[in-house]
Amino acid sequence: MAVEAAESTPARARMEPVHREFLAAHCTKCHDADESNGGVRLDDLPLEIGDVKAAERWAKVLAVLNSGEMPPKDEPRPADEAKRAFLEVLSKQMVVARKVLADSGGVITMRRLNRREYVNTIRELLDVEVNPTDLPADEDGSTFDTIGTGLFFSSDQFEHYLRLGRAALDEAIVIADRPSKQSQRREAEENENKELRKDYDEAFASMNKATAWRVSGKPPTEFGWVDETEARTIERRDRDAVIRIGNHLKDPATLSGKFLQPLPWPDVNVIPHTVAPGRYILRAKLGYTDERSAERRFIEYGVQGDQGWPTEMKLLGHREIDGTVEKPEIVELPVTITRKGHRTFGIRDRQHNGWEAAETQHYWSKKYRKDKLSMWRGLWIDWVEWEGPFIDQWPPASHERVLGGVDLKANPGDEQARQVITRFAERAFRGRAVRPEYVTGLLAQYADRRQAGEPFHEAIKTPLAIVLASPAFLYIVEPVERTAPQASVTTVASSTPSGPLQPAGSARRVPLTDVELANRLSYFLWAGPPDDRLLSVAAAGQFRDHGKEKGKLAEEVDRMLDDDRVMRFVSGFMHQWLHMVRLDFFQFNPRLYPKFDATAKAAARREVYETFRHVMDQELPLGTLLKADFVVVNDILADYYDIPGVKGGSFRRVPVPQGMPRGGFLGMAAILAMGSDGERSSPVERGAWVLRKLLHDPPPPAPANVPQLSRFAATLMPARELMTAHQEQPQCAQCHRRIDPIGYALQHFDAAGNWRDEEYVDTYTHYSIITKKATFPIDARGELPDGSTFTGFEGLRDAVTRHEADFARGLVEHLVEYALGRPCGFSDEELVVSILEKAKGKQYTPRAIIQAIVASQEFQSK
Amino acid sequence: MPLPRRRFLQGAGSSIALPALASLGAVRGAVAAETPRPKRMVFIAIGWGVTEETWYPDKTKTGLDWTLPEGLQPLARHKQSITVVQNVFHKHSSDAHNPSMFWLTGADRYGVPGKSFNNTISVDQVAAEQFGRDTRFASLSLCSASAESGHGQMQWNRQGKPQPSIENPVAAYHKLFSDEKTPLEVRQRELERQKSVLDVVLEEARFVSRGLSRDDTDKLDEYFESIREIETRLAKEKQWLAVPKSQPQGLMKEPAAGADGRNEIRITNDLMVAAFQADATRVIGYRMPVDSLLRSLGKPVGGHNMSHYGPGPRMEASQARDRAISELLAGFIDRLQAVKEPDGSSLFDHTSVVLGSNVRSQHYLDNCPTLLTGGGAGIKLGRHIVMPDPKTPLCNVWLTLLKGVGINVDSFGDSTGTVAELIA
Repeated sequence: MAVEAAESTPARARMEPVHREFLAAHCTKCHDADESNGGVRLDDLPLEIGDVKAAERWAKVLAVLNSGEMPPKDEPRPADEAKRAFLEVLSKQMVVARKVLADSGGVITMRRLNRREYVNTIRELLDVEVNPTDLPADEDGSTFDTIGTGLFFSSDQFEHYLRLGRAALDEAIVIADRPSKQSQRREAEENENKELRKDYDEAFASMNKATAWRVSGKPPTEFGWVDETEARTIERRDRDAVIRIGNHLKDPATLSGKFLQPLPWPDVNVIPHTVAPGRYILRAKLGYTDERSAERRFIEYGVQGDQGWPTEMKLLGHREIDGTVEKPEIVELPVTITRKGHRTFGIRDRQHNGWEAAETQHYWSKKYRKDKLSMWRGLWIDWVEWEGPFIDQWPPASHERVLGGVDLKANPGDEQARQVITRFAERAFRGRAVRPEYVTGLLAQYADRRQAGEPFHEAIKTPLAIVLASPAFLYIVEPVERTAPQASVTTVASSTPSGPLQPAGSARRVPLTDVELANRLSYFLWAGPPDDRLLSVAAAGQFRDHGKEKGKLAEEVDRMLDDDRVMRFVSGFMHQWLHMVRLDFFQFNPRLYPKFDATAKAAARREVYETFRHVMDQELPLGTLLKADFVVVNDILADYYDIPGVKGGSFRRVPVPQGMPRGGFLGMAAILAMGSDGERSSPVERGAWVLRKLLHDPPPPAPANVPQLSRFAATLMPARELMTAHQEQPQCAQCHRRIDPIGYALQHFDAAGNWRDEEYVDTYTHYSIITKKATFPIDARGELPDGSTFTGFEGLRDAVTRHEADFARGLVEHLVEYALGRPCGFSDEELVVSILEKAKGKQYTPRAIIQAIVASQEFQSK
Repeated sequence: MPLPRRRFLQGAGSSIALPALASLGAVRGAVAAETPRPKRMVFIAIGWGVTEETWYPDKTKTGLDWTLPEGLQPLARHKQSITVVQNVFHKHSSDAHNPSMFWLTGADRYGVPGKSFNNTISVDQVAAEQFGRDTRFASLSLCSASAESGHGQMQWNRQGKPQPSIENPVAAYHKLFSDEKTPLEVRQRELERQKSVLDVVLEEARFVSRGLSRDDTDKLDEYFESIREIETRLAKEKQWLAVPKSQPQGLMKEPAAGADGRNEIRITNDLMVAAFQADATRVIGYRMPVDSLLRSLGKPVGGHNMSHYGPGPRMEASQARDRAISELLAGFIDRLQAVKEPDGSSLFDHTSVVLGSNVRSQHYLDNCPTLLTGGGAGIKLGRHIVMPDPKTPLCNVWLTLLKGVGINVDSFGDSTGTVAELIA
């Protein structure tokens, strides 16, 4: 498909005179100058949706027609076809209007670092991880977290920055002597068997008490039982327990280790608070029993989550275990200890995270227990130990970055303080000059703390924390004029659009300085500060061509794209562009989707990022993201997709086995799971996502207060039948006839992206008691708005792949938005087209697109 | 170039009327009985919506003749003290995933072209601007741990920026009632230090603002505003430094940490009563936890999953939560009624309480659940009011309450007037 040339006329959102006739026929009888019922007049509604006021009035028309509220019941109704046609144009024009009205005319608003960038910037500056939960997340789901107009600043935020900066400095500065390595091992059976013995004794005593009653022939109350039923139930229950625990304790494996009960307790290792922060290794000797089901065996490890043990574990990773009880294996799990961070680590058999998992005990029981007279025997642990800290250098790099060269034993004073503050502020300001007056002010803060009796290494933290809450650190500052004569500022300011629909591009653009360009580049591609090399290229003025000497900009971009830090861009951009927050909207029902647990979900999410990075690294055509004969997966995901032979947690390219419906976005578990509510797949969500993200043909947003499909939850219906509820009324049909048929083609994937041959539906009560169930055959026939019809995943995938150029345009518009930190409006048509033209010859490889964006004048101007 | 900071000095937010110390004594003294009792307002957000089928009273029975639906049954003993209003909503609502974000403001998120987010002052903060002059804390914003879903920020200042919140009852208790052990001079010096920190960053911000384009300067203004707000707060803290915190009467003790959802709400309700009783503040917003409340009710379902209910476990969880919330509110009313004011009336008579959400149920944004109680705003209680127009602005209710507690405003948000049915 050819790239269409930019239209020279500015884009407008406009209704046609024929639509006025529709209004005249059905609305203006009651809504005109004479009779403006409900205070609404429609006879003077402008056809051009050119400002917010007009947009609001048209939005109202759209809303009341959508809801079927107007025309009133006792008035003649428009014919379904006429109404559908009217609504189709209006909802499309409203999408256009929104874009027109959001057009910033090229103006980039200065912004502060968003939360991701803040964390990355602190890490590069101090080699310390901060916990940013106090800061706003900045992702609002509708635009990117790099867009300045959406990034706010409030007073408690300032205080959070001060506090977080201080906490980071507390972690960074270390005055203790080099700690020695320590280790500690805990035999798993130590406590476990004591506890089990106690359980056994209790059950034994209570069983005997019940038996004593039974043989005595006396009333149960004399033995302390409420009634006969209680006595009999407890006797039966405790006899089982005595046999179960008794047998278990006789098992030699319980003398030297313990069987991990899959719910609810993970096995725990605690690293004492007295040992120094640093890198540690957790080791465990463990193995699976042959009673565990034959599927691949993974353990998870992590720390206590928000909801505490045992309900939620914050997962740090997983390992596949090949060891058995007879031949256990030793796993090594790397963990990092911070001053205030977690020191309690847990290991458990892989399972659903969160307390909803409690509902699936019976599922795990089946997996781990021969019968009810056996204990759970899944994972066996011999011992757990920790060792550390492992030290590369002392004092640690974090300390050297702040206080390098200062001999704390030599009683450093004001001069050293001035040096430390200046050097720190220069790095924190990322190439922006630090004024002596500012340093003097900070020095006074230091002196005040010294006077209050604090030692140098404490007193210095106060001014340094202030640096981390100062605007030149928190904001990406790009002044228009260094000396700021009043006149030129006004020139630029007055030409920025003050209202909607200002002609774009009239503002005078000023080239970025080299240092500013380095910053814009690094926050684009690394979501973090420029490194020394990038800043030195900037300082030497080597970005742009100088006579014969070729500029190094493209070379630097390539270097940045090859650096691992690029994953911050990939994950940040992909997460927001593809609206992957939806993956966290719902908890997946563990009964229906036992394998789509937190570990699988994390891997599925990462597959999307890793695939993009692979396509970028290997310079593969952009269409590879739509259709590929390979997947980029790790062991967990390979297991999920049933691809054999993938060992280890790292992601790698693996060919898709013959006939397996994977390869490309539409076969990815994360993408498919986003199109569900954690229980059932949703053809609507999937179809709308394909229109928005792949075909670049977004449907209008769903009108507010549409009836929700959950009203049918008590009736068993196949998804397709459920969806036709949308087609009942013309106002719904006009969008859903474009959306739903796309989703139907993916109906062979269940809510968690597993392949299925038929659709299983059930209703259930608490504790997963199924009340009704049914299976339905799947009808995977689908259709694209361009009229192409197909069946199933492969048919849809081929049809979508033919739209590679549309997909590329969508990606470019979103990348422009992300990179420039402003909406990509109609005034960017020329920019978008020129980027597409440059990248087209290279099959729209992500690298070519990114290089073209960076090379554009827009990217290099402020 | 004029400093933005100067603009704020002239703005409304910067003039804080500080209490004359003598009048503080008067509040607690004999004169108190003669002076009118201060009005209080509390806004309790339930998070997500309610169960439509069992929370709303039958729309055909209105006025005094109505029956409590199942979800409100635990409020039976207070039926004469509560009023339920139906058919009110915010016309700009579009986001069902942050049910508290616009609940008290009614703002249009997309009201400013080119901005993806816009909000305006919330009803509680309008009250706080006036009521907050005489108390140590102009208002309080209470919520549960940040992991809780179903709300978003709730209380917004004149600049449309969120108010800082206190995230657990223990921290709230200490903020309200714990007196610093450190000597006065030390605390004074600490305040001076904090002030001097602000001076350093302000000076730097002024330098940074040089040469910025107008849009960028507007953006940096947010930074100046923030600093100015902290300065204002420090100035107020300084004035109150020498005044010991009033202690709550009765049995309010430091709460234990780690209470589960239901208990956390109960403790917070007690704290709110104690805060009013000690006159530490007169305006409170509270976002109740959803996820942990469900957990404490033994319902293994998350808030968002619950809100997507249909017949089955999700709906049962939603109904159980409705009942728990009603029961907790009934207890809160009991406590407010039990606190006697010097003139023989009760705290309940001078407090306006709202319980509700911007979301009706599931993800519907019309007929926002609205339950009013307390005598603070002088509204009619014991009623079931169904507004004839199903699109009546919720801001009309907010305006009615503001006027009712004596705030002199003509409109609020998108209000078109007060709700006559509520006014006695």
